Amino acid sequence: MTDESIMEAVKHGNLQQVSVLFERHHKPIFNFLAKMTMDRELAEDLTQNVFLRLMKYRNSYQEGKRFQSWLYQVARNVFSDHYQMNKNKYSKSMDVEKLKDSIEEKNETLDQTEREILLHKSMARLANEDRELLVLTRFEQMKYEEVAAIMETTVANIKVKVHRAIAKLREHYFELEKIN
Amino acid sequence: MSAMEKEKLESLLIDYLDGALDAVNCRIVEEELSKNYRAKKILEELKEVMSAINNTKAMQSSSSMQLKFEYSLAAEILLQQKPKQVFMKPRIYRAAAAIGFVFMIFGIGYWVNKNQQQALELANLKNEMEATKKMLMTMLDNRQSASQRVQGATIAYTISKPDNEVVNALAKAMNEDPNTNVRLAALEALTKFYQEEHVRRILIKSLSDQKDEVVQMALIQVLVKMKEKGIIKELEKISRDTQVLKAVKDEAFTGILKLS
Repeated sequence: MTDESIMEAVKHGNLQQVSVLFERHHKPIFNFLAKMTMDRELAEDLTQNVFLRLMKYRNSYQEGKRFQSWLYQVARNVFSDHYQMNKNKYSKSMDVEKLKDSIEEKNETLDQTEREILLHKSMARLANEDRELLVLTRFEQMKYEEVAAIMETTVANIKVKVHRAIAKLREHYFELEKIN
Repeated sequence: MSAMEKEKLESLLIDYLDGALDAVNCRIVEEELSKNYRAKKILEELKEVMSAINNTKAMQSSSSMQLKFEYSLAAEILLQQKPKQVFMKPRIYRAAAAIGFVFMIFGIGYWVNKNQQQALELANLKNEMEATKKMLMTMLDNRQSASQRVQGATIAYTISKPDNEVVNALAKAMNEDPNTNVRLAALEALTKFYQEEHVRRILIKSLSDQKDEVVQMALIQVLVKMKEKGIIKELEKISRDTQVLKAVKDEAFTGILKLS
């Protein structure tokens, strides 16, 4: 069954089917939110909120619309609401301390771990919009068309923004490498 | 190299690495790379950053996330099918609170046997209650984690007589928390102190202020169970209100019948 037909069933009251959507999509949504918040525990809570919101606002799902795009729109809203509520905290510091354990446990060598920490530190320096674009296109490996559908803009616009974001990431990465 | 040229060059290099250039543009880039040291350096740096991205493995969420979700889903389904039983659902919290309470009693009992000096015993007990209260308040105030706030409300079970600070924090959670499970946990905790006059007043007042339908239904069940006849007028108002959900109106109507 496609995600779209499952979501339509959910919309018509078959809530049990949400568990299938959770099973299929919670990992990429969790990874998206972990990279946006740089906090694993918080990302778990926000992922939970995404699927709770999916249930709560199931009637707003437009039949025929690509489910994945809608789900990521929900996830973006959940992150945005959280960010607005905690803006002061984020403006002061955004570090990767709360991701370090996860990075260390999944990498086999110290060099891999150091490279990934450097990468996340560079990502943390980017504006939310740039970080979001890179997470979706480069980490989640979504096509520009898919991201354009999520952000409700054109493919050309997404491509220009992604290229600028990569350029900024490169600069931060090598600046931080020099400091380290 | 102007900023414009640099941006254009870097964009071409990204497409080059992505394999997204046609043969003509590919040749242009390769010619530029052969004569422009700066372009070559940018290409090498881009390669390294992209390789770092590609080597990043996905993070794994904890197994508790799946369990928490299954619990939330079950609650939501129950709410849709049997709205009257929703309040009974957080048994896991009650069980957790009961276990916590038993541990605390054992802890205190052990301590009493070991230490005969009553003054010291009371001082330690007071400290423990203060620590429990502090933990409860901190967890209830955790804006980022709904599950932490639920646990905070659950800790209230281990307090035999709450002070105003705890009662007010629980009332605030019951009336204002964005998460329904937190509101329900706070309501259950307050229900334990129903004998306190000011707690009773808070619960009655919440019936008219409550914005969450699930909590409103649970509140009606609690107040009806406590035979609080003073709420009949409010229940009549709810049962007549056209803006109120049918399930809530039904609950209010059942309440009126039981209290009349």
